Amino acid sequence: MEQTVTLRSARFRAEREADWRLLESLVTQAERRGLQRMDYAAARDLAASYRRATTSLAIAREISLDRALLDYLEALTARAYLCVYAPQERLGGLVRRFFAASAPQALRRSWMFILIGFLCMGLGGLTGYLLYLENPSWYFVFLPPEMAGGRSPDATTSYLRSVIYSNDPDTTGLGAFATFLFSHNTRIAIFVFGLGVFVCLPAIALTFYNGLGLGAMLALHVDRGLGWDMGGWLSIHGVTELSAICIACGGGIQLGSAILFPGDRTRREALQLAGRDAVKLALVAAVMLVAAAILEGFFRQMVQDMSARYAIGWGIGLFWLAWALLAGRRRT
Amino acid sequence: MRLFRRRKPRPSPDIILTPEGVPLKLKVAGIGVRVAAQLTDILLTMAGAAAILILLAMLDLTEPHTLFAIGAMLFFLTRVPYYIATELIWNGQTLGKRLMKIKVVSHDGRTLSTHAIVLRNLMKEAEIFLPGTLVLALDAASPVLSLIAFAWVIMAFLIPLMNPYRQRLGDLLAGTHVIHLPQPVLLKDLAQVKVPVETEGTRIIFLSHQLDHYGAFELQTLESLLRADTGRMSPTAYDSHRKTLGTIIEKIRRKIGYADRVDPADHAAFLQAFYTAQRAHLEQRQLFGDRRANKHHAESDTTA
Repeated sequence: MEQTVTLRSARFRAEREADWRLLESLVTQAERRGLQRMDYAAARDLAASYRRATTSLAIAREISLDRALLDYLEALTARAYLCVYAPQERLGGLVRRFFAASAPQALRRSWMFILIGFLCMGLGGLTGYLLYLENPSWYFVFLPPEMAGGRSPDATTSYLRSVIYSNDPDTTGLGAFATFLFSHNTRIAIFVFGLGVFVCLPAIALTFYNGLGLGAMLALHVDRGLGWDMGGWLSIHGVTELSAICIACGGGIQLGSAILFPGDRTRREALQLAGRDAVKLALVAAVMLVAAAILEGFFRQMVQDMSARYAIGWGIGLFWLAWALLAGRRRT
Repeated sequence: MRLFRRRKPRPSPDIILTPEGVPLKLKVAGIGVRVAAQLTDILLTMAGAAAILILLAMLDLTEPHTLFAIGAMLFFLTRVPYYIATELIWNGQTLGKRLMKIKVVSHDGRTLSTHAIVLRNLMKEAEIFLPGTLVLALDAASPVLSLIAFAWVIMAFLIPLMNPYRQRLGDLLAGTHVIHLPQPVLLKDLAQVKVPVETEGTRIIFLSHQLDHYGAFELQTLESLLRADTGRMSPTAYDSHRKTLGTIIEKIRRKIGYADRVDPADHAAFLQAFYTAQRAHLEQRQLFGDRRANKHHAESDTTA
């Protein structure tokens, strides 16, 4: 027996084995019940025991050739490491913090990119409008027939009016909400954001193209003397929905510009850094798209009065603006 | 002259440096196990969405022609929070990942941040689900769009194959990767097992020069051989195991110049004694800064 005692690594193990077993039980406890629900003493022991285990591992790697011991310590320390360095965030606080502080702050930080997004859409709209006035056949270029829903330069004015003030039960309620949520505009927003990574161009082009269609549609209605009515129909959800697309475009441009102009960082680092704000922009856009789908699915058909439509649409737009500008400012 | 510069050996992707400064080995999870976990999660969220859909249908809130749109919306609305919430609550593990014993960790060895979890799961939407639904909803009217979506999905699957950490696009952006959870199992110390004696009662003793032949690799190979569970072997397997032991002992004897013949009854005792003596010797050499990786240590010493 005396020969084994002289083996340094065996003695090292015998002295510490109880501590490792304790750590093992603490780790199982933490994994099963979560760090938050462990009592104070156990949590404290876990952290202290973990640091002792890392030391043990470092020493064992130097002095021991016992594969079993090394593997065990390695696995145990790794498990404990994952427990000790676990994210400690409550879900409730997360949502609150996002809306109260981090989202509006991100919006303010990337105001320039969002402005570019709005500019793309606005210029697209203007171009579409002017081109339509010059030659109505442009309309078919900008708006594929399945998107225009029968509203084309060939349609009668009364038909156009009936679409604006339709009260079809099919286009209201939960089903309509779901349909609108996954409608054309949501897809545009997703692509505009995701494609921004490819050096901005697809995002800008898509937003511009979206604006073209919008401008042409508006021009058609103005041409028939329905400009104000169309504006109301569009305002009630469009203010929110189109802003969402512009914000998504801003996020996409931010990602693309990180790749184009990484500055002193590597491109990957710059992308990761830009991603922090861009993701928040995408989330804001998603929330706004859901809000727009609710407006489109429930309110557009319920509110038939033109000025009320304007009031609701722009009122909500004003609310978004106030939220972006005022929320989450640190008191000085 | 060499045409291509030899690449610097990259650090193993399985190593994570903890804030304590001790590198840990956490094996990177492969594509297969991750897809399996993903499928489990998709099934779970789909089941959740289906349950809500049936509830809505029973409450008469749906109509046949909007059923699909509502279903898609519910799937989306259960899916997105599910991934983020589970990975936050269970420290980087969804239910599917728990089942497969894999886990998300931060690339730099620090705490997995909320931002990273949110980002990698939102990117999953953009990478796989949305283009995936586009591909599934293939319509002949817009083949170009479907083709683009298809190419995008293929690319999203190829990216993890390209890098050693098997990161998908969301992982790259969030600075995370997925690992296998290690299982700590402590086996008994072989050197702590009672030192055997030969049947005649004499102790087996090795001299220092006899122990200079082998290195850590051979020692640990011998260790795994000694740990083989003879109790569970079938008779034929046990026979061949005995035969292997005999051959190994002969090789060791010839290599180290151990004169006495070893009686078959003493085979286990001899190997046990040799293991302990060899380990003690190598560990002592290591303490003096002489690490011996394998039996070629003498040659590398002379060339270096």
